[in-house]
Order: sequence, then C-alpha cells, then structure tokens
Amino acid sequence: MSELETRLLDRGQSAAAAPKTELPSHKWTMLIDLDKCTGCNACVVACHVENNVPIRSEREVIRGHGQHWIRIERYWEGEGDTQRATFLPMLCQQCSNAPCEPVCPVYASVHSERENLNLQVYNRCVGTRFCGNNCPYRARSFNWFAPQFEGPITEMLNPDVTVRSGGVMEKCTFCVQRIRRSEEDALVEGRPLREGDVTPACAQTCPTSAIVFGDRSYPESQVARRLGGQREFQVLEHLGTAPNVYYLKAGGSDGGAG
Amino acid sequence: MAEQAKFDSPVWNRPLPEDAELAAQVREVREKHLLQDARPPREVAEKVLGPMARLGRVFWLAFVVLGGLTATWLVTWAYQASQGMGVTGLNRTIMWAPYIINFVYFIGIGHAGTFISAALRVLKFDWRAPISRAAESLTVFALLVALTMPLIHMGRVWKFYWMIPFPNQRQLWPDPRSPIFWDMTAIFTYLSCSVLFMYLGMLPDLAIAREKASGWRKRLYTALALGWRGTEREWKNLDTTLNIFSYGIIPVMFSVHTVVAWDFAMTLQPGWNSSIFGPYFVIGALYSGVGAVIIIMAILRKALHLEYFLRQEHFNAMGKFLLVLSFTWVYFYFNDYLIPWYHKEPILTVLFRLFSSGWAAPFWYTMLFANIVVPWATLWSRKVRSSIPALVGVAVLVQVGMYIERYLIVAVALGYPELPFNWSVYVPRLPEILITVGVFGFVALGVTVLSRLVPIIPIWEVVEGQLLHGTRRIGRAIFPAKTEAD
Amino acid sequence: MTERISRRDFLRLGAAGSATGVLAGCTSPRRWVVLEPFVRPPEQQVSGIATWYATTCRQCPAGCGVIVRLMNGRAVKLEGNPEHPLNRGKLCARGQAGLQMLYNPDRLSGPLVQSTRGSREFSAIDWNEGINRLFQTLQKAGPAVAVLGGATMSDHLFDLFSRLLAAVKAPAPVMYDLYTELGGYRMLAQAMGQVYGRAAVPAYRLGEADVVFSFGAEFLGTWTSAVRYGVEYGAFRSQPYGKRGLLVHFEPRQSSTAVTADDYFAIAPGSEGLVAGALLRLIADGNLGLPGRAESARGLAPSLDVEQAARECGIPVDALQRWARRFAEAEHAVAIPGGALAGSSNGMHAARAIEALNVVSGSAPAGVNISPLDLGLARKSLNTFADVQSLIARMRAGEVQVLLVHSANPAFELPEAAGFLEALAKVPLVVSFGAMVDETAVWSDLILPDRSYLESFGYEVVSPDFGSPVVSSQQPVVTPVFDAQATGDILLTAARGIPAAAAAMPWDDEVDYLSQIVAGLPEAAYPASTPEEKRARFRQHGGWWQAPAAAAPTPRPQPFTVTAQRAAFDGNESDYPYFLHVYPSVLLSDGRGASLPLLQGVPDPMTTIAWQSWVELHPATAERLEIRDGDLLRVTSPHGEIVAAAYVTPGIRPDTVAIPAGQGHQDLGRFACDRGSNVVQLLGAALTDEGGGLRWNGVRVALARTGKRIATASLESKVGVTEGLGYE
Repeated sequence: MSELETRLLDRGQSAAAAPKTELPSHKWTMLIDLDKCTGCNACVVACHVENNVPIRSEREVIRGHGQHWIRIERYWEGEGDTQRATFLPMLCQQCSNAPCEPVCPVYASVHSERENLNLQVYNRCVGTRFCGNNCPYRARSFNWFAPQFEGPITEMLNPDVTVRSGGVMEKCTFCVQRIRRSEEDALVEGRPLREGDVTPACAQTCPTSAIVFGDRSYPESQVARRLGGQREFQVLEHLGTAPNVYYLKAGGSDGGAG
Repeated sequence: MAEQAKFDSPVWNRPLPEDAELAAQVREVREKHLLQDARPPREVAEKVLGPMARLGRVFWLAFVVLGGLTATWLVTWAYQASQGMGVTGLNRTIMWAPYIINFVYFIGIGHAGTFISAALRVLKFDWRAPISRAAESLTVFALLVALTMPLIHMGRVWKFYWMIPFPNQRQLWPDPRSPIFWDMTAIFTYLSCSVLFMYLGMLPDLAIAREKASGWRKRLYTALALGWRGTEREWKNLDTTLNIFSYGIIPVMFSVHTVVAWDFAMTLQPGWNSSIFGPYFVIGALYSGVGAVIIIMAILRKALHLEYFLRQEHFNAMGKFLLVLSFTWVYFYFNDYLIPWYHKEPILTVLFRLFSSGWAAPFWYTMLFANIVVPWATLWSRKVRSSIPALVGVAVLVQVGMYIERYLIVAVALGYPELPFNWSVYVPRLPEILITVGVFGFVALGVTVLSRLVPIIPIWEVVEGQLLHGTRRIGRAIFPAKTEAD
Repeated sequence: MTERISRRDFLRLGAAGSATGVLAGCTSPRRWVVLEPFVRPPEQQVSGIATWYATTCRQCPAGCGVIVRLMNGRAVKLEGNPEHPLNRGKLCARGQAGLQMLYNPDRLSGPLVQSTRGSREFSAIDWNEGINRLFQTLQKAGPAVAVLGGATMSDHLFDLFSRLLAAVKAPAPVMYDLYTELGGYRMLAQAMGQVYGRAAVPAYRLGEADVVFSFGAEFLGTWTSAVRYGVEYGAFRSQPYGKRGLLVHFEPRQSSTAVTADDYFAIAPGSEGLVAGALLRLIADGNLGLPGRAESARGLAPSLDVEQAARECGIPVDALQRWARRFAEAEHAVAIPGGALAGSSNGMHAARAIEALNVVSGSAPAGVNISPLDLGLARKSLNTFADVQSLIARMRAGEVQVLLVHSANPAFELPEAAGFLEALAKVPLVVSFGAMVDETAVWSDLILPDRSYLESFGYEVVSPDFGSPVVSSQQPVVTPVFDAQATGDILLTAARGIPAAAAAMPWDDEVDYLSQIVAGLPEAAYPASTPEEKRARFRQHGGWWQAPAAAAPTPRPQPFTVTAQRAAFDGNESDYPYFLHVYPSVLLSDGRGASLPLLQGVPDPMTTIAWQSWVELHPATAERLEIRDGDLLRVTSPHGEIVAAAYVTPGIRPDTVAIPAGQGHQDLGRFACDRGSNVVQLLGAALTDEGGGLRWNGVRVALARTGKRIATASLESKVGVTEGLGYE
C-alpha cells in the first residue's frame, strides 16, 4: 500500500473514531505594515491567481470596471516638489460591524460569527450592488460582465474557489478556502490550528512580509503580538465599521515588537 | 333669494338674478368656477366621453412615437440583461446611478396623484375634483416604471424573485434589515392601494360610460363597472370606502418615499447619510409630482378638449400649491446642507466645492435656478399661474430641477467616498439614456391610452360638486358658496 | 542504471497524457512517452488534494525557487519555495504570473517555418523536419554558428549551447537582453571586478543594515532580485530591539523604491557618481564617522567642489552633509549602485564611486568573493552591448550562417541604430526558440518553440549570490500543454550528427545530462545517500545549496580610483529640452511580461495604469506645454520618435520625462500587440565610456502634442488624487 493510501485510510478511521466537534472560533486578523509595503503588486497578482479573479480588458479598465480584490492605492502627500507617494494596500476589511451586510436584500452578504469574517455568497447574489455602495472602502468589486478566461487560461483556475458569473458581487474572503482546508485538516487530525497553518495568498507571497495574517484571539500569534503599538491604526476608524485589518504607520519603529 | 328658494329646480337650470349687475357677477362666478358652472349631467358626461373615441392624427402620432419609445426601453433592457451591466457607465465606485435616479424620480412624481386624490379629498379641497383621476393615472404608471427600475439595475435580474418572501425548500428568505426589502413592501402596498383607490373611484364613471357606449367599449365598461347601479347603498359604501382609502393612503404615501429615502440615508456614504432625507424626499416628491400633474393636465386639456373642466382656477390652485411646495423644499434642502457646511466635514466640503465651483456646478446652479429662482420669481403672480403655457413652463423647469437634484444626490455624491483614490465621475452611456427616455415615453403612453379608455375626468365628482355648489348673495355682492354634505 | 522507474521519476519526467510522438532518435527510457488514460492517474494525484512540485522561476534572471500547486494535473498556483535560500518562500508579481507563461493561448504548438521573413505567414512542419533542418544547416555551417541568448536562459542550456559552439569552433554564445542591460548587471559585475577582483553581480545584504543609500537601484521593484531584496528590506525595517534601518534613495524619478525611502532626492540624471563622490569628499574633509572611515574616504574621494556638485545633482548641501555624517557614523552602512547609472556614459565611474562608499563603511556585497566554491558546472556569463555589436558585425560580414536565438528578443530590445535587422539579412538561417511569435521570430526562418519553464528540466545557478551558492533545480510540473520540445533535447539530438559535438555532448537527452551534473555536486544541506536519492532530492527540494556556513570571508578591495565624471547626453538642450529616463516596468520587465494578462491587467504601482504605456512628466512641464493626462505626445530623440500618452505626476523632475520599457510590441501574442510604444526606439547605439554597455540613459528628448487623446486605463481616481484632495 502506498504511503498516500495509508494516510487516506488513517484519515477516514480517525474521522470516524473522533467525535464530531464544532469548529473552534477564531478572530482572523490581517496586519499590514506600511513601513514595509513597496507597492510591488505581488499580492495583487497572487490574489488573482488564487481566487480566480478575472483580469479585465483595457476597455473595461478605462470604464472603471477594473476588478481586484486587493489593490495598492497610491496617494500623494506633501506639496509641490516635496510630494512623496505613499502606498496603501486596500482590501475588504472584514468589518465586524460591516455596513455591507444589513443592506443586502437576499442575505448574500452575511457574517460568520465563529470566524469573524464577512462572507459573500456568490450564488445568492442578485446584483443589486447595495453592498458595494455601502462599503466605505469600496473594497467590493462587481462582475459587470461575465468573466472571460481565454483558451488554456481556464486550466489555471483554482478548483477550490467558485468562478463567479456576471452580475455577481465579490470581494476578498481572507482566502476562506485556505482557512476551510486547514480547519478540516486540523479537525481530521484531531489537533487545533497552529499559527502559520493559514496564510492567505497575499500574505504568503509578500516579499517584505508587510502583510501578516493570523488569529488574534490566540495571544502568541504574530498579529496579536504586534497589535497595540503606537503605529497601529485602522482606515476610516471613525465610521465604526470595526475592521479586522489593522495597519501600521510607515516611518516609525515598533519599539521591540519586531 | 329667489334662486336660493328654488332648490328643487335642477342646479344647471338656476336662472340668473334679475338685477343686471348681480347677474353679471353670477355669470363671472360661473365662468371662473367649474363647480359653479353646472350643466346637465348628460352633457357633462358627454364632454368627457365624447372626445375619448375621437382618435385623431395627433393621437396616433403620439401613440406611435411613445410606443416606439416604450419599445426602445424594453429592447435596450433586454440587451443590457443579456450583455451584463457593464454596458452602462457605472463603475466600481458609482454602482448606482441612472436607474436609481429614475426610481426615485418616478416614485416621486407618483406622490402627487395620491396627494391630490386622497389628501386634498380629506382636506375637502373641491377644486381637485377634475384633476384627481389624471393625477392618479400618472401615479399608477409612474409607480409601474419605478417598480421596474430596481429590476433593470440588478445584475442578475432573472433571480429577482428571491427578494420576494415566499416559502421554499431551502428556507431562504429576503433580509428584512435591507432598505430594499422595505422599498418593495412599501411600493407594492402603495401601488395596490393606488390602483384600487383609482379603480373604485372610477366605478360610477365606468357605469356612466357603460350606458353611453357601444361595441367593444360597452363590453369593456360593463366588465369593469362591476354591475354598478348607483343605488343609495352603493353610493354610501363607495363613500365609506373612499374615505377609508383616503385616510389610509396618506400614511402609505408618506412612508413610501421615506423608505425610498432610507435607501440612501441608512448608508455610510457621505452626502447620503443624512437623517433629514425622509421628509426631504417626501416634499421633493410632492414638488416634482405636482409639477408633473400640471403638465399632464395641460396636455390632456388640449388633447381631449377639456377646457370646460380644467379652468384657470385649477391651474391657479396648482400653481399656488407648487409655490408652497417650493418653499418647503428649500427649507429641507437648506437644512440638509447647512449643518455639514457649518461643521466643515471634510468629505462634504469636497462635495460642496464640487457643487459651487467644480465640475458639478452647472448642474447645481441649473437646479437652483429651476427649483427656486424661477418659481419664486413667477408663481406669486396670478397672471403667471393662470397662464397655462407659463405655468407649464415653470412646471417643466421644476421637473428638470428635481431630476438634477436626484442626479446630484445619487450619481455625484456616490462618486466621492471617503478614500480619494476611488473618486469617480459617472458618465451615462447609450443604454441608460435610451432606457430613461423610453420610460418617460412609457408613462406618457400609459396616460395617453388610459385617457382614451376610461373617463379621465371624474364625472360623478364633478356632478356631485356642481350639485353642492351655488352662489350666495351678501349685500350687493355674489359669492360662491358650498353646501357641506357629509 | 536500473530499469525500474519509480513513480516519482515517472511523474517528474512529465510523461503521460496526450504528448506527441517520441523525439526522433531518442531512445532513453526516461523520455518514453506512454499514453495513459486519465482514469488511471498517477498515485499522487488524488482529485481534490493538491500535489506540490518544486522548480525554478524564470521570469527574471534571478532564479527564485517556486513550488507549484497542482490540482488534477493542472498547475493552479505558484508560491515561493520556503526552503530556497534566495527567496525564502516569497514570490514577486512576475513570478506569480508565471502560470500564464504555461497556459497562454498564443503559445505555439509545433515548429513553424516562414518563407519570407517579416511576412508573418507561417506554415507548420513536424518536429522531425524542423530538427532536421536545423541539423543540416549546422552540419554545413561549421564554425559559422552564433547563439544570442537572454539572461533567463537556464544555465544548463547555456552549457549545452556553449559546448555545441565550442565543438564546432564557433565563438561563445552572446548573452544579452534588455532586462539585464537596464539593470546594469554586466556593468556592475565589471565594476566589482575592478574593486574586489571578481566580476560578479553584487548582492547587498540589507537585513541588518543601519543606513542604506540607494543610487537609482529600484531594488524593490525590479533589478537583480526583487524578491530577495524584498525579504531583506522587510528584515531591514524591523530589526531586533526595535531598530529600524534608514533608506535614502537618489533617483530622478520617484520609483516605488523611492516611495518607501525615508528620504528621497530627485537627482539630475546621470549624477549618481557625483553624489557618491560628494559624499566621499564630505566624509573625508569633515573627518566624519567611525574611526578609520574618514581616512579610507580620503584615499578614495575624487577631487571636486561639494557645493558645485550638490548644485549639479540637485541636492541641498546641508542634506548631503547630514547624510554623509549619518552614513559614516552608522555601524553598518550600505550603498547600492542601481541599474539606471549603468546606462549612463559615466556608469562605471559612478559604480566605482558608490562601491567606494561601501569600502569606506566596510560593508562589501556578497557574491563577489574571490574564490567561489567550484561547483563543477557551467554558469552563464553576461555579455556587453559591445559584444552584441561584434556579433552584429560578424553577421553583417557574412560570417554567421546560422543564428540561434533563445530567451531574447533582439528585434524588439535592440535600438535600431544597432543594425540588427539589417545584419540579419546576411544570415541564411535564423532560428527562434521562443514559445510565442515575438518580434525576432517574425524575422526568423524557423521556429522551434521551447517549452515554458514550468514544463522544463534544468538547473540555474542563482545570481546574485547572497552569500552561499545555490543551484536551483527545474523540473516539469505538468505534462507539456502545447507541442513544444525542450531546446536542450533538440541540441543534443542535432549534436549527435556532428562528430565534434557528439563527443562534447554525449548525453541521450537533457535529463541524462542533468543527472550527471547533479551527481557532480558536493554534499547539500539535505541528506542524500545514493545518487538516485541525490537526484530526487535535488528536484524535490528545488535545488542544491549548503547549510548556512560561517560567514564567507569579506572580500578585500583592491586599489582603484574614483573619478567624478559627468554623464553625456545625446541631443542639445534647446532642441531636446528633457532628459529621458528609461526604466523597466515592475510588471512587464523589459517587455517579456507583455504577453501575460496577469501582468498587463494589474495596475502599475506608481501610475495605476494597466494595459498601456505612458510618458511621465512633471506638472510644471504639463502646464507649460498645456498637456493633460491622456494627451498623445510625440516624443522625439536624436535617434527616433514614438507616440506616447502623457501622465502628469509630481514623481519626476521637471527637466526629465520617464518612459517605462515593456509595451510597444507588434507581436508576442494578442495581449501584447499594438499597445503603447517601445521606448527603445528613442535610443541610439552609443556605448558607455567604460565597459562597453549600451548608453541607454544618455538621451534627451523633445515633446510635442499631436492633438489626439486616449482614455487612460488607470485605477486611481482621475479627479481625486492628483488634483489634490479637493481642498484648495
């Protein structure tokens, strides 16, 4: 029997033997250190590949139909010749108090209390785009046209993620398919999720490790340890959306948080 | 005196006083006021029913043109539904624009119908009598259009029924927290109430038409009249029913546009997130609606030769009403903008700059001109109010102004979320332009056709009013007087 | 050699599926193609469970290790290989887009011939015929064979090409492409040779630095290893005990590296060396810094007037003084010479001046050790533009009968003045090994499409070397999707018929060759007890490297002099008022990324424009010439002209305009065609003063409105960001 076959059998046995337990709750949090973001767009491309986000054509981009789950917003600060650009990676903030949720008439935008995530149910979305309007971060993108993947490009679509049709709203999910896989693996193996088990595509590829992800309810996690510093802020905090993406201001040190 | 004693002679046969001066005064009163200018009921009915069947060239031309516009609307909608919402000028920042503007606008003008039929009825403003059904017909078609607008703007319109609560195997229900759900509830209620209200109020007229018609019309009216015989019991029931509806539909009317306003006010979008939106939208609706009714009145008067029914007094009254609404609208508009201007909220300051000196300035100033400057400068004058072309001109400007107001709120403000990287300008493209023009055509088509199918002037209300109105001499002056009958 | 093939080997050899017929003459069992129905998939492939294979990315010359996630036999995601010493599990945007090099609708299936060059009328032939054509011409050509390759050609293929050429006594392959030219690889290597005695691309370890001065090195976006420098930078900014390194960037254009810097100076184009010289002078004269530094600086600083130099560069003197002190006082200070300076006439001078700063601060780069570990395998060395000119001269003189082009697109990348296309006319057979029809293939006679890197075997010696040598492994992760053949196999097959070559290249196929190479490597960081295991582990881990040893000996600098030299620019100021700053696009590189929608459709970090190219100009320039975003401008240099859409940005000097390389293709597939303009058309073919590099950073241009506009495909708000936030 091959090694793989043995492992598969073991899984089945342990799943049958172990009592079905509820999945534990998490507070998935993303931390983006703006001191390290270089605007390289690796996260953008990685997200496109992982989540089957279509690349829109030139015509569509001109008309404002560019579709990205994470984008690098480039602002200018300062005046005149001393103006310097600054990068802000913007993605769905997975708000605990998400304004996109109550406005959806068909429950396509719902909250997962257990995981503290905002979930988008593609097959329920009817495309009223109320959620997109109400997102102050404009993190949601709409499939204005059905996506087109030309020729063999369909081969690289990730089977873990739905390919959305036209007329449906979508957004960053914190790579929930990866969360789900890791949770299932952990459940089958009868162990809790470990720090580092779950990494979204953007965090995994970010060369400078500006994007860090984890469960802040676990006090030893990277994100928990780095939260609470002087540099920490959230975008549009005053709106009370309670985002789960924290940013660290550029230019200062964490004072030892590493 | 003499005429007051002869209350058993028919109202339309009341003789003039012998005194020449008094007679002149009475003649003047009768000329000015429809309800004083009594005619035999048959004659009144004929004045309404007669022109209905005479379909001249102008009617057919209008029918073809408006029908063409309606077809354009439907075809473009089908194109858009098959291609995807990307054919419009909407983008990732401005996800709502043309169809929601139309939605708000058409629900808005629908309010005037209800107000004129129901609220003015409750307040016993008798001059509303000849206007009410035309206004209601405008309401019905405007609401129908408004109902289609959220469907047109949906990404997957073929799944629209998921927004309707119905028991299903997967136990999925729409979300009652969503303003869209409240919209649907409110508008369905409003539409059904309006249709019922209009239909019930039409029953006696349909019966009259049934008597006078022949051929397919007779069959139509017989079916529609539901066997109305005009017994006292039927009249009493009708009166009670219309009273209930009148009182009941007023809160519905207020709630509908408040709920539509909450589509915006309940969001976090700057420029939308304002608690005054509820009443502000209701008044705005009435404002644009009354203007629309004025236009409809003027057109119907010309097309169906309703000069007997729609007199200067009606336009005058509507003009005054329009002016009062203009004041009220300005009050709410001012309230909406004064507070954020005062505390200099940054993103709203950006919006204000846009309006006052940015690219949106031409629109904003046009709106102010059309909604404030022109009505305030003209409608105080009885001459303007009584001149139908002038009043219609002001009313058209008000439509333009109110449409721009909705555009500024929906499409312009939405382009300015708090993160400037995402600011955007909405530029309409052909599909939404065609659909917008098309639905205007549909509403016009609907009213046009309906006015030829059913009596567009409430004959029985006019006759009833004429019965109750007379003149009274006090001293050397003749005054119009009304008998209060409950 | 055992007959039994393990399942792992079977898979890794990329067999099964609908592959085409057996390569002519190839009898190795390792390359047998067996038709297996998909109902009997290989054991490892369980539907719904991913399998991962390690290979090497070839989107840029660095050679990052990647692992590929396969679901149902399809490659669906690339990630950095966590074990690979270069990129440590990280991957850049171009790397992530690599799947579209594999699954691209415009890839060729099967060889093509073109009867008339430039006609774009190709007819398909079969592989046997294609290889035979090549073979027959090679046989007759003797030493009149030339190979023009690019830096992303894997070293194993370079070795095979070199052996073939050496066997027929032809000159060595000329390895040159626009990416390495814009990155200054060759120039910097030469400068390192002058300073440290070994010519190798330097690798600057920033992870523990206190102060870093970056002279036009867009090391966080492109350059020699965007990923590894990204990893270093991440560590640089959050060092233990809260320490945070400081970065100062000197560049005429605000690149994304400039954006992250703590201080940024928009220096005059070509003045990097002058800045470095001024800093040296300040350290020397001011006796600044830690003990010994001022003395070291005194030995190296050129004689110049600091105030004048500061004025010329465009930096306030007090800022220079401040930073000179900071650099000299920092325990660990690093100066990085970048790509842009390499294209200036004074590039080598500047490189030496900047490296002198490192000598002063005692922080030499890695990779320039005098005696590198001899790994017993070949690695490519890059050539200069002068070498390319020699090749072109040989072509023109009729000394080249066969030109083989692989991993390079000279028809697109070389300036017209180089005369490449004219010289091609004298070459009877031009063979392109590109996977798609690119501009060079359009001027070829025969196309033998190579497989994409995700379907290929090979090895690549990682460069730059960050302190320990790494030989990165390539293996196919999927069954070949298109009917392409490995160029290595083609060479080996063709070589069999040429006696001298057959002796020099005795292997059956590429896999055979690689087995021998791997067998010859010293012991790796991971254990392997048998040669088969060594081979398998080589592929499994993604390459060969050793356990991190004690720090390599610091290279000792040799005596060298620093001179302050001004950069020369073609075109006079009155006719051509603006300096032209050329830079490789973060996403499109030098143009090779233009065929991938994942790179075309993602916004450029500084302009947020996708799918288009542009010319960046300062608001003052825009105002003076009454230009708005999207206006089509005619950009004219003394050597040529292009039309480009204007992009107004404060991120460029008022006397400079910047145009990214990468667009302007006429071929290379549907996603690349007819977009933007090729900035190379503005360049001449002059050489730098020293080093024989192309003087691509030495041109001035003029701008003129054409009266036409295009709509800009930008993600950013056109009304929000550049017009201020609406506040006046």
